Amino acid sequence: MRIYAIAVYLFLYVPIGIIVLFSFNAGRHASELRGLSVQWYGKALSNPFVGDAFFTSLVVALSVAILSSLMGTAAALALQRLKGTMRVLFDGLIYVSVMIPGIVIGIATLVALVTVFDFLNPLLASIWPEGVKPPKLHMGYASVIAAHTLFTMSLVIILVRARIAGMDRALIEASMDLYATPWRTFYQVTLPQIYPAILAGFLLSFTFSFDDFIISFFVAGANTTLPIYIFASIRRGITPEVNAIGTMVLAVSLFLLMSAQFFLRARTYR
Amino acid sequence: MKELSKPNRWLTAVLLAPTTLWFLFMLILPLIVILIFSFGERAAVGGYGGGFTFEHYLNLPARLKAFQNTMTFAPIGTLLCLLVAYPLAYYLALKVDRRYKLVLLVLVIVPFWTSLLIRTYAWIYLLGGRGIPSLLELIGFEGVRLINTPGAVMIGIVYGYLPLMVFPIFVSLEKLDRSLLEASSDLGGSPFKTFMQITLPLSMPGIATGCMLVFILLMGEFLIPAFLGGGKIFFIGNALVDLFLQSRNWPFGSAISVTLVVIMLVTVSLYMRMTLRSNTGRDESLM
Repeated sequence: MRIYAIAVYLFLYVPIGIIVLFSFNAGRHASELRGLSVQWYGKALSNPFVGDAFFTSLVVALSVAILSSLMGTAAALALQRLKGTMRVLFDGLIYVSVMIPGIVIGIATLVALVTVFDFLNPLLASIWPEGVKPPKLHMGYASVIAAHTLFTMSLVIILVRARIAGMDRALIEASMDLYATPWRTFYQVTLPQIYPAILAGFLLSFTFSFDDFIISFFVAGANTTLPIYIFASIRRGITPEVNAIGTMVLAVSLFLLMSAQFFLRARTYR
Repeated sequence: MKELSKPNRWLTAVLLAPTTLWFLFMLILPLIVILIFSFGERAAVGGYGGGFTFEHYLNLPARLKAFQNTMTFAPIGTLLCLLVAYPLAYYLALKVDRRYKLVLLVLVIVPFWTSLLIRTYAWIYLLGGRGIPSLLELIGFEGVRLINTPGAVMIGIVYGYLPLMVFPIFVSLEKLDRSLLEASSDLGGSPFKTFMQITLPLSMPGIATGCMLVFILLMGEFLIPAFLGGGKIFFIGNALVDLFLQSRNWPFGSAISVTLVVIMLVTVSLYMRMTLRSNTGRDESLM
């Protein structure tokens, strides 16, 4: 039993280890290990395409994380007051948006947004003052952020709601009995209890957005996120540079995940 | 529950407004647009050309191979995931010392949250000519080809989705009342019988959840066949990328997406019915 478990852990981690190992390859060929060096990290970091892609991914992931933790927390707080049909409807939508494969979200968003833009762009052009170049709506940052947020917002709702369910209701009632305003109750009683879940949701949203390939592939327009760049590079052939970029992406996600775990478990150590 | 006062209702509405907008414009509207597109004509330059036709649905057999591949690899891959995940989940839930349990569980889940793209391309290395085949050559098996085979895609699937299967099974085994296991062995039940009559039935909800999650995600998979199937093994996801991003046949692509979503909905409702039935079944047996 134990040996089996060890074998499964090896199965899970050896491939990741291989990428990390080969990213320190001193040789030029991706599949031949010739000594160790960090030269490919230097190459990757000085590559302007990588820099641009990294910046795009960072902006997108940060916006997604901020938007989803705000909207998700607000919705989770409101949903506990909701009953009946509306509650069932929202629960259904939350689960659909978490379960639906990324590819369907990507396609549906692409098709819908392009249709809406094709309709709006001539309209904008016609009402725009003469001589000024009218704005042209197109796929880009906003469409990726909006599409990622659909999934991550629901994720935050689920995390925060679980935390609210485990919360001590007596504290809220006590606060109300002591004539605290609802805002003060929220700020001094509810928020301190649910913030670990919000933080964990923030970090998981960031990680999801930063790592997502398939949704961005459809809706990023001319923008290239880091996973899209990696995908295109692999198509051209694996190089130690791709491994170095991959290792850095893995390191970012691992760091964020560990922090998320820490906040989710914070309750246990109180 | 008290009736909500008026300001409270306003507050609820305001708090829910952004989420509602998102669901409307990023989920419901896009799905409706896809449904409309799937009945439309194809425009000359690609994209959507209006009209109403069933042509694209009748044309689905043109991508039969992608459907066949998806509908074979997804269930078999799900089953393989289950077979690999169950013993691990069992070990973690019932055999491991409490102190290490959390760490070991986190170690299983962490890969799922790291980039599937990077984890999958690692297997291009391992299965490629200089990876496992060259090791096999050392021990005398020559000319073994692994990459771009059905086996490679299967390995990628199990590797990618194993964490998603382990977690729900672990949760259901963890909740299991251990006194039942002791009672069974006290009454002379063999370990095998205890497993078949107590552990396995009580972990069914976890198995069902894990299988459904993995199956649904596999139905929409694109990366694993793209990297490890080498263009020979392609799923519906690969056909969709081709239709939307390369050949720009949006109405046909929409028809395929709608079909995919319908298959998923059928699966989920079958699952709901199954789990509901098994729950009522247990309630009755307890009475």
